[in-house]
Amino acid sequence: MRNTFMSRISPTSMRILALLFVLILTILFFSTQIENYLNARLFNRISTSVAIILLIAVGQSVVVLTRNIDLSVGSVVGFVAYFVGGVVGAFPEIPAILVPVLAIALGACFGAFNGFLVSRFNLPSIIVTLATLAIFRSILVEFTDGSSITTASLPDWLTEFARLNAFVVGNFRVRWMVVISIVVALVVHVFLTRFRAGRQFYAVGSNPEAARVAGINVGRTVMQAFVISGALAGLAGFMFLARFGNITIVAGLGLELKSVGAVVVGGVNIFGGSGSVIGVLIGASLIDLLETSLVRWALVSEFWRDAVLGMLILLAVVTDTFMSRRLLARPTAKAAAAKTAADNTAAPIAAPGARQAEGS
Amino acid sequence: MTAPVLEMREISKAFGNTRALDAFSISLEPGTIHALVGENGAGKSTLIKVMMGIHQPDAGSIVVDGREVTFRTTQEAQAAALAAIYQEPMVFPDLDVAENIFINHHARPAFVRWRALYDEASAVIKRLGVSVDPRRPAGSLTLAEQQTVEIARAISLDARVLIMDEPSASLSDHEVRRLFGIARALRAAGVAVLYISHRLEEVFEIADTVTVMRDGKHVSTRPIADITEERVVAEMVGRDMQGRFKRMPSAQTGDVLLRVEGLSRAGAFHDVSFTVRKGEILCFSGLVGAGRTDVALALFGIAPPDHGRIEIAGQPVTISSPAVAQRHGIAYVSEDRRKLGIAMAETVTANITLPMLDSYCGPLGLVDKRAESADADTFRERLDIRAADLNMPVGTLSGGNQQKVMLAKWLNTKPRLLLVDEPTRGIDIGAKAEVHRIIRDLAAQGVAIVIISSDLPEVLSLADRVIVMREGRFVGEFQGESATDESVMHLAVGAAGRGAA
Amino acid sequence: MKGSTFIDRLATWEGFLFLVLVLLILLNALSTPFFLTVSNQINLFQLSIEKVIVALIMTLVIINGEIDLSVASIMGLAATTFGWVFQAGISAEWAIVIALTIGIICGAFNAFWIAWAGIPSLVVTLAMLIAYRGFARVLVEDRGITDFPEWFDSLGQAPILGPFPLSMLIFFTLLVVLFVVLQRSAFGRKLYFIGSNRDVAEYSGVNVRRIKATIFIASGLISALAGILFAARVGSVRGDIGVGFELDIITIVLLGGVSIFGGTGTITGTVLAILIVLNLRNGMALANITGHLQTGALGILLILSVMVPTIRDAGQRLWRTVRGETG
Repeated sequence: MRNTFMSRISPTSMRILALLFVLILTILFFSTQIENYLNARLFNRISTSVAIILLIAVGQSVVVLTRNIDLSVGSVVGFVAYFVGGVVGAFPEIPAILVPVLAIALGACFGAFNGFLVSRFNLPSIIVTLATLAIFRSILVEFTDGSSITTASLPDWLTEFARLNAFVVGNFRVRWMVVISIVVALVVHVFLTRFRAGRQFYAVGSNPEAARVAGINVGRTVMQAFVISGALAGLAGFMFLARFGNITIVAGLGLELKSVGAVVVGGVNIFGGSGSVIGVLIGASLIDLLETSLVRWALVSEFWRDAVLGMLILLAVVTDTFMSRRLLARPTAKAAAAKTAADNTAAPIAAPGARQAEGS
Repeated sequence: MTAPVLEMREISKAFGNTRALDAFSISLEPGTIHALVGENGAGKSTLIKVMMGIHQPDAGSIVVDGREVTFRTTQEAQAAALAAIYQEPMVFPDLDVAENIFINHHARPAFVRWRALYDEASAVIKRLGVSVDPRRPAGSLTLAEQQTVEIARAISLDARVLIMDEPSASLSDHEVRRLFGIARALRAAGVAVLYISHRLEEVFEIADTVTVMRDGKHVSTRPIADITEERVVAEMVGRDMQGRFKRMPSAQTGDVLLRVEGLSRAGAFHDVSFTVRKGEILCFSGLVGAGRTDVALALFGIAPPDHGRIEIAGQPVTISSPAVAQRHGIAYVSEDRRKLGIAMAETVTANITLPMLDSYCGPLGLVDKRAESADADTFRERLDIRAADLNMPVGTLSGGNQQKVMLAKWLNTKPRLLLVDEPTRGIDIGAKAEVHRIIRDLAAQGVAIVIISSDLPEVLSLADRVIVMREGRFVGEFQGESATDESVMHLAVGAAGRGAA
Repeated sequence: MKGSTFIDRLATWEGFLFLVLVLLILLNALSTPFFLTVSNQINLFQLSIEKVIVALIMTLVIINGEIDLSVASIMGLAATTFGWVFQAGISAEWAIVIALTIGIICGAFNAFWIAWAGIPSLVVTLAMLIAYRGFARVLVEDRGITDFPEWFDSLGQAPILGPFPLSMLIFFTLLVVLFVVLQRSAFGRKLYFIGSNRDVAEYSGVNVRRIKATIFIASGLISALAGILFAARVGSVRGDIGVGFELDIITIVLLGGVSIFGGTGTITGTVLAILIVLNLRNGMALANITGHLQTGALGILLILSVMVPTIRDAGQRLWRTVRGETG
């Protein structure tokens, strides 16, 4: 066996390295195109923007790992931002720590609603969350009566929180929001990689039938994934409120697609079972970087961002499909799960060719 | 003799009108390998599902360590230290071997220490006397290695009963050796192993005790030393005489319609050559997974062969899709009515006319419903399909009538060569006789017929010629009268010696 | 003893929809005297005509066992293409042709990945929902394009046959064509079989890929047509034409009794669902319920419509238990 560097790293790490490479290339490219590109202000802007989308994308990735999808997160962010903004506006003396807790709890409730419908009634998550995307938003509209939250109505500590620096390196100021978001991502990363309960999310997405046979409670795992997604969307809603101050009924619109984009570009398999939060972190940064940079690039209009994002997602999915299909060519459990017509009619018989390949 | 760890007492389980298990009893003792043999459809899979809490028995009791228990879920069966591995390995392709083993191991800390996990996985695998790198993703393993992973999962949970359902069905010879090594290691460790297999040579090599089951009933349980292969075969096939059909050879056979030479498809079948004449009924016998269906699928263009040549009426042909096969006058009646045969939600008429739909259409592509119903009606009479209304979904008919609809669908294509896979699986005895009559009539009209059947009396009553397949190869051929239950079964299961090969 | 009585017919999903519709119309008619006038009903249709046209073809897509989330973005892209090409100095007639071609290309692009590469339509069209919308934005950025020729603007409203404007005639034509395709044609029959059991269709010699590809291309073309009609109706083109319409369209189709897993459903069901949704919206508007809330109500309807099989099964189980205990 060759003991080269390339053969020792896992496909997931490979994907992360490739993403990192693309990220650096993108930065280098734009730094030749845009004057004064690599400055502290841009870093600031992108990092705070990434902080919000990262939280949502991390939650989304947990759901996607279980072979589901959560399209309602944008509406959850909007609702939580508005509701929490209204509450602190009405009761400014409320202890600061309770505010994010309220946001998280509220988001978790929305997630639990999705998870209940998906796991209890076995409904396709795409339909359920497409519906709750509309339902949650309309509850928001009803709740607001068309009015908006304004910065003026919020306590000072909240608006200042968005500008609070955790630490400063030279010109680069790192905001608390960014630190919190990254810490949350790392906590989820550790949970997913180092805890059995976390690994079961992968198991459920990788082969739900095998998960059932192995005695894993599949319904509960899916439920947990949606609750996590909702809770993180709730926290993101709190940060959204702190950062923008002015919240209208369209707050958070479209974040669901952006988060799915970050997840898929970050190397989480849209069909579940594999991916890492670190990849999602890079994916979210890449998407935000592209968006922010396209706005400043003189050669093309900023309006390219959605077109680029959509094609990026397609590219990522196509890559995943063909990569996993190469795996399927072997007599694997996934092949058994995704039976071809021929397999249905006869007991699967291992291909001798594949056996020889394994023997070497 | 030690006390049994698991006893199944008088278990019965019926699905609709089919009695899958009929007061079946078996008891498993620690430190023994107990083989369970029986023909396809004898009720073995149902037994496992009852043992593992997937199905609940209609009657009878399950006793673990002398205490009666009920399993409502797989988890409950697992908690009672039962584990099963299935023909198709149930692993997580994206996770590595160590995780596959310990994914739901509640005795372990909730926090995963990867190094310890790998060490322990190595230790568990080592106990099985094999070597699999615990860091490899399970998706990259061979089926045999995936099976090892499943066994390791069972061991790590301290399973005291391990059920192996046809574990060798998709393994190569040296992989089977390795599996036997594992089974013996488990026996030495005091595990009760229930080994389910068609292959008698394996059973006689590995088992301490053999139980034969037939039609959901217990036939015999004996120590391996007290029984011979011939006896087991006789007990497996032995039926009441009334279930038999009288053999009536086809009157006349004509020119060679299909000639197949050296046909192979990697992993499915190897170097298959045969001919079929017009009006002849040729039967492929053998066990499930012997590659018979794969040969049919190759002839029908679903899974084209890698090598070899196919001639129809003297013309070499390449069959790349079912549409092409139809054009050559080939029809394939699938064994899997539900998944591949007919669409249950669609009407009887629509199912019958589907393959020939374009021929019912005018220039605008609109279906001539009158012509369509007329043809469907003809088949209703000809095959005696009992359906009040041919515009009802097929799913509302009984199994036997569904089977006839499926036959009608393919007869409507006016085939020259009819491939029929398990023509009477899961239908009652009356419908069975009718299906047989239809097949004989077709042969009398000069259609060349290839039947794939695991039902020996059916094979013997229909066939002009029988070809036996085992592990993707032709292992023997009989002219009509020379085939008997035992001679065919011997070749199919690979029992030593005898057989008119 | 058998034979379909009136009660039998009502026991189907379509029968249930019909009852709901009658109820809605009654309620609306009682609350406003203008409700039942022809002009009000036409106006009702006109306000959502683009969605209901696309819902017709979406019915075929879902019966086929697939989904097309990119329809609204194709509408937007076709409309902006029309505007952009027109602004570049090409005649409106040719601009329409070019915009329709764009629809076909978008549909074919979807079809390539779905039918040829075998990637689930859900994922492909989700990505293209974003991308096609992105291209639409690239074309017109944040401008609005107006000043189309008079004949184009009047396409949207002017009655050309009796009280009906062009878009409604297109709707009725398409309705008849698709009804015939589904009920009478070989293509339609194969469509149902593929959705009902893809393997059976394949084993019966049906060219599954070609049919799937045809459906997605048709979906692209009709979405583009709907986009142009939208532009004609509002007399201007913007990048956000039709944003979020896919939700309404899919809701209508599922509500009409088409199973999300394919194989069952009829155009009749979709038409009933269209009428229900239009009347519901109208009723809610009369009751001063805003657009966003209406969308929320549709969301609830969507969940209920995918739960229909679950509810029915639960009902049957209950029925069996009751019978089992008594018998």
